[in-house]
Amino acid sequence: MKKLLSGNEAIVEGALVAGLKFFSAYPITPASDIMQGIVKKQEQVKFIQAEDEIAAVNMCIGASLAGAKVMTATSGPGFSLKQETIGLAFKLPTPLVIVNSQRVGPSTGMPTLGSQGDILQSKSGSHGDYVNIVLYPNSVEECFRYTIEALNAAEESLSPVILLSDGMLSHIYETVDLDSIKYSLKNRKRKPLGEEKRHFTGLLSKNDRPQTKDSQVYREWYYERKKKILDVAEKYNFYEYIENKNADTLLVAFGITSRIILPLKKKYSIFRPIRMFPVIEELKEIAKKYSKIIVIEMNDGQYRHELEAFLKRDIYSVTQLGGKISLKEIENELSKIYSE
Amino acid sequence: MSFQRFIRNDVLPLGWCPGCGLHALFYATCEVLDELDKTNTIIVSGIGCTARGAGFFNLDSVHGIHGRAIPLAVGVKAVNPDLNVVVFSGEGDITGIGGNHLLHVARRDDNIVVICNNNEVFAMTGGQSSPTTRIGGKTLTAPEGNVMQPLNIQGIITSNKRFFYARATPVFKEHLKECLKQAFEYDGFVFVEIVFPCIENYSKKMDQTIACVLKDLKGKYKICNENRMLKDDELGIFRSE
Repeated sequence: MKKLLSGNEAIVEGALVAGLKFFSAYPITPASDIMQGIVKKQEQVKFIQAEDEIAAVNMCIGASLAGAKVMTATSGPGFSLKQETIGLAFKLPTPLVIVNSQRVGPSTGMPTLGSQGDILQSKSGSHGDYVNIVLYPNSVEECFRYTIEALNAAEESLSPVILLSDGMLSHIYETVDLDSIKYSLKNRKRKPLGEEKRHFTGLLSKNDRPQTKDSQVYREWYYERKKKILDVAEKYNFYEYIENKNADTLLVAFGITSRIILPLKKKYSIFRPIRMFPVIEELKEIAKKYSKIIVIEMNDGQYRHELEAFLKRDIYSVTQLGGKISLKEIENELSKIYSE
Repeated sequence: MSFQRFIRNDVLPLGWCPGCGLHALFYATCEVLDELDKTNTIIVSGIGCTARGAGFFNLDSVHGIHGRAIPLAVGVKAVNPDLNVVVFSGEGDITGIGGNHLLHVARRDDNIVVICNNNEVFAMTGGQSSPTTRIGGKTLTAPEGNVMQPLNIQGIITSNKRFFYARATPVFKEHLKECLKQAFEYDGFVFVEIVFPCIENYSKKMDQTIACVLKDLKGKYKICNENRMLKDDELGIFRSE
């Protein structure tokens, strides 16, 4: 049956289908309606409105260790506050899904216009080295689908997974037929707290004992953890590639931006990463076909920098700052690149 | 000696300084867990000397990040209410960086136990002032003596409609165990404040030896058997019901 849903409502529906058992959050626009959606489902999901953003994500850590599939939802300012705990989830390790509906920053910025300014933070906002999976849907249907996948990826990798959205995607309404969407669910093998005698710690440890001075132990632990997450990420290799045989330029866009530039497929090829991080490996082969690659994003070139490092070549950037996005502006910027 | 079933033998000796009250607090806690047969206990801690204790219990335990032991414990309890969820951490962790969580866990009356070791300084980082450093207390960040009022933890906890606040010290072990027993059997939020100044990074700066500290604690504190607000020099339990 078709339903009219917003992006945030579809995230709630996806989480319920995926088996979410605990949700905690703190009010923040444009993410609050995810929490309000969960409130109506308390027969399925244990819900706590936390005293602050840090409490919300740490409650999720505790609930996750106790065996539940967990999720929290926030926007930029709250996402900044949760960063230390993302590192904890990576270290312990334990599954955790954080939804970040991006708005214009830095700081309080332009509440609450949509933005894509937290791309780099979603990859490496916590201190120290770590890797995590980041997904970014671009439609209401995909919000449903990739919330399920985010929870699956977290369970499978025992690690934090970031589900990005933006102020626009969170609040657009589209009709979707959720029943027609196929999915499978992943469940954890690890026993919940209370069934064994383990010590989960943010300290480097070996056999449950702190090993804070042994570089070799650190290296072994880190590379094993990294490999585990990269291996799991390969199963979540989501992207969309719209090839235009006549094009010599590849546009890269994601989230709401990829929706806006869709008419440009008549002239260009378009690559849309859904798994933002780790960066999709196939892009290396795809990129070889094009003389120009242009990343179009609502930030000052964050993903462009990532792709320059990933593809080891110069990449053009078209930015849409300050919460406004316009196809006409983007086309003007593109024509400037060609007249250079 | 069956309390030893709650101790991870492979971590002995415990990593705390000689003379520290945490040794006695840890053993007293294990004894009470044993006497009540609380094998369903989960220990949760934050960061600091006390927080390291989580790894010494032969139980499932979580050593999280600084100040966030309480919300983490609340999450565990929310998912599995049958567990006896105990936060074992210091006053810097619980009342300093994690102070907001303390206000709200007490307000919500979440069913967890907080055992907060108040040693008056940030001991693990060398002895900086903490929220509970007494006036005149010499620390790395107040070398001439602290001039600010220490935090009134009892006041915060007991300002709620329903509360359980206990103050104990390992120097009076039987009283400490009685407090812990009542704490583990109480249905609601429990705060147990353990007073014992840090020996290594605080008392020595105050020109006090271990013997002086023990003598002072014995001389200063009296056990109050009435259910009322405790005076600064009293140990006891003040609960709303």
